[in-house]
Amino acid sequence: MENSSIEIKNLCKNFGDITAVNDLSLSIASGELFGLLGVNGAGKTTTIRMLSCLTKPTSGEAFLGGKSIVTEGNEVKKIINLSTQETAVAPKLTVRENLEFMAEIYSVSDPKKAVEGVIKDFSLETVLDRRAKTLSGGWQRKVSIAMALVTSPRILFLDEPTLGLDVLARRELWTAIKALKSKMTIILTTHYLDEAEALCDRIAIMTGGCLRAVGTADELKAQAGKDNFEDAFVEIAERSKASI
Amino acid sequence: MRTAVFSKRNLKELLRDPLSYIFCLGFPIVMLLIMTIINKSIPPEANMTVFRIDNLSGGIAVFGLSFVMLFAALLLSQDRTGAFLTRLYASPMKAHEFIGGYYLPIILLAIAQSCVTFIASFVIGAVENIELNVGRTLLAVLSLIPTAVMFIGFGLLFGSIFNSNAAPGICSIIISAAGILGGIWMDVESIGGGLQKVCLALPFYHSVRAARSIMAGTSDKLGTDLLIVLGYTLAAFALSVAAFRRNMKSDNK
Repeated sequence: MENSSIEIKNLCKNFGDITAVNDLSLSIASGELFGLLGVNGAGKTTTIRMLSCLTKPTSGEAFLGGKSIVTEGNEVKKIINLSTQETAVAPKLTVRENLEFMAEIYSVSDPKKAVEGVIKDFSLETVLDRRAKTLSGGWQRKVSIAMALVTSPRILFLDEPTLGLDVLARRELWTAIKALKSKMTIILTTHYLDEAEALCDRIAIMTGGCLRAVGTADELKAQAGKDNFEDAFVEIAERSKASI
Repeated sequence: MRTAVFSKRNLKELLRDPLSYIFCLGFPIVMLLIMTIINKSIPPEANMTVFRIDNLSGGIAVFGLSFVMLFAALLLSQDRTGAFLTRLYASPMKAHEFIGGYYLPIILLAIAQSCVTFIASFVIGAVENIELNVGRTLLAVLSLIPTAVMFIGFGLLFGSIFNSNAAPGICSIIISAAGILGGIWMDVESIGGGLQKVCLALPFYHSVRAARSIMAGTSDKLGTDLLIVLGYTLAAFALSVAAFRRNMKSDNK
């Protein structure tokens, strides 16, 4: 793909005898919101960890913005950011201090402007001076994502961003994620089918560490011969199980 | 630059924890006061000078620094427990920037603690009519910096190895050992036997004796004491760096 932001080639990760990710190859375009969908243990988080240089692949390669995750990890780290499954905030710093901290760690050229930008984008004005640990789970997750965005990454990884949140907080985060579309490349892992369908331009379905299908939600439904996305996901996952 | 940014964050985390004030700053003052009161009840014919403020201040300063270890262990182990460090591992931060960022603010806290301990000692000394020398006291504070680095090193080592529930327990053992085997509450020279050998083999007594020697203006065994402390400091520093790097790499396998 000519304007691809991420090129994954035969990526594998083994933990001893267990294969967490098996021969994954993908191409993700710039500005795309790409979903990695799968049940627990499908290999989504391991994939994200390899792409964000937290885990070394056993074999294979991936290029982010043209930089190799194997040989140019430090260069890759400058253009990405990550919001993990668990909320990753400094608990005793205020929301503003957390944002400023991340901007400074990434040597953002105008940290003040960047911080003010995400405060506005995420409507954080009301909680700015509160310590992060005093916020609700939904707000902490929002701050955690805002901390990733304050560095203006070219590629953003959102690992199960709405895990454990109530319906209202989830919907609020969806709105925030939708607003980011096309501003940067986003890889979102989730096991919520409705989330993948509502947010993602394309979705990859993973089971047992392998990529089983990739396409838009409609393409996947057509591929599985089902009318709704949940049935399509189950069909594709079951089909892959039967083929093992 | 990133070291300074990370140090600033860590300093804020420490200063916003009320326990920092209670254990790092309040505790040494309370101990000085209690031991001074106990000293008053000891009859002069007992010839026991270990609780006299000019002897006590150096010992309490070292004992206070052992609590700094606890804070170092808690800070790192709590960062590891959440996803905060994972997020930073995915940032352009390098291992040495992490290590510097943890050490620097805690060294500042340790120096502040030693200063508070000696200032309180001056006040108690003035009340007790025991004059403490300002220059020697400043030298004693400087002599305690390797001890502070040693305790921080142990703290970061335990914080790297253990989780936030286990690390404080391990630190408590070292704190107790420092108190008992550091000769803060007893005269190690007069006890003899195996216990004295253990005291002399560990760094705590040497830290206390070095601080006391400087306060008293004597240089007997000062060089040996400082060298032994320095040896332990280098070992603790090296172990903490190795453990932290191993943690970073274990995520990277």
